[in-house]
Amino acid sequence: MDKALEHQFVTNLERDQNIVHKICRIYTNDQASHNDLFQEITIQLWKAYPKFRGDAKFSTWMYRVALNTAITLYRKKKRGIQTQDYDTVHFRIKAEEYDDETEQQLKLLYSAVKELNDIDKALVFLYLEDKNYREISETLGISEVNARVKMNRVKTKLRNILNP
Amino acid sequence: MDELELLKKDWKKQDANYPKLSYDQIYNMLWKKSSSIVKWIFIISVLELFISTFLSILFTGDDYWVQLEKYNLKQFTEVLFVLGYAITFFFIFMFYRNYKKISATDDAATLMKNILRTRRTVKYYIAYVLIYNGLTAIVVFSYMIYFHINSQDQTLSKYSFDTLDWIKFIGIGLIVLTLFLGLIWLFYRLLYGILLKKLHKNYKELKKLEM
Repeated sequence: MDKALEHQFVTNLERDQNIVHKICRIYTNDQASHNDLFQEITIQLWKAYPKFRGDAKFSTWMYRVALNTAITLYRKKKRGIQTQDYDTVHFRIKAEEYDDETEQQLKLLYSAVKELNDIDKALVFLYLEDKNYREISETLGISEVNARVKMNRVKTKLRNILNP
Repeated sequence: MDELELLKKDWKKQDANYPKLSYDQIYNMLWKKSSSIVKWIFIISVLELFISTFLSILFTGDDYWVQLEKYNLKQFTEVLFVLGYAITFFFIFMFYRNYKKISATDDAATLMKNILRTRRTVKYYIAYVLIYNGLTAIVVFSYMIYFHINSQDQTLSKYSFDTLDWIKFIGIGLIVLTLFLGLIWLFYRLLYGILLKKLHKNYKELKKLEM
């Protein structure tokens, strides 16, 4: 394939790779799976890249392909049981910024998100990324009203996990 | 404070903590093999289409035609055959068209719908092959029994069946046929059950509100 296109794609992805890492963080529980998913998303992005017309921002287009990969296309490899502390090890919350109670609550929140189903995780992810309901509904292919209803249910679910 | 707001605040602070892959690391990933579910569905579906077509050709070998001629069923089968090929090509065309429609740049619901549709096309084709061969077998078989009973030809009645023998004979035939079809059905359920479990679950989850 075209060398210039390759270069352009890799440069774009290198710049915006955090989006992919964040999706991997939400959808995987260990470093090896994180890397696997990252790789599959990269392959899918690259395959879809000729269709990217540049009328949207590269990052906006990435959200869609990357989430589709995580929710639908990716086939998890079988792995042995790994430590579930991946999140706290790799994304250490800086203690000085929060009081103990907040820090504890954040830890619980991250593990609560991990318990959600794939679609709810997508909603939370898009919400955390400051996407509005129109963008959420367009990415997932549901109506805006349904996106709102679903988001409220996810909030309730999280609250229930936190305060059983 | 709202739980999600608290999470969002922290989420934004984490930006610097993610791994940073280099240009070369990303570049090398472009040539790695995808393990996407669509690839597997494509490979398995193409295999199924080939095996099914091969099986229908196998079932209808030379002997089959000689037999049919003997029982005056040749013309009937010729029509069925032409029809069968037309239907097979139609299915292959539909499968290819559906497969081409699958795109990771669609919204999640459309993507899932397109994958499931591709899958359904192949499922219908397999159902069609099984029903087609099953029905043909039953028709030819019944016709042969009918021919046997009504034949004046003395050489054919070397063994005469009484009613109970007929019931046993047909009963065993039906059980074997059911077992055979059942096994194939189970095999597909298992194969695609594993492959499509996540997709079905997520699709249902997305569509739940719209019912």
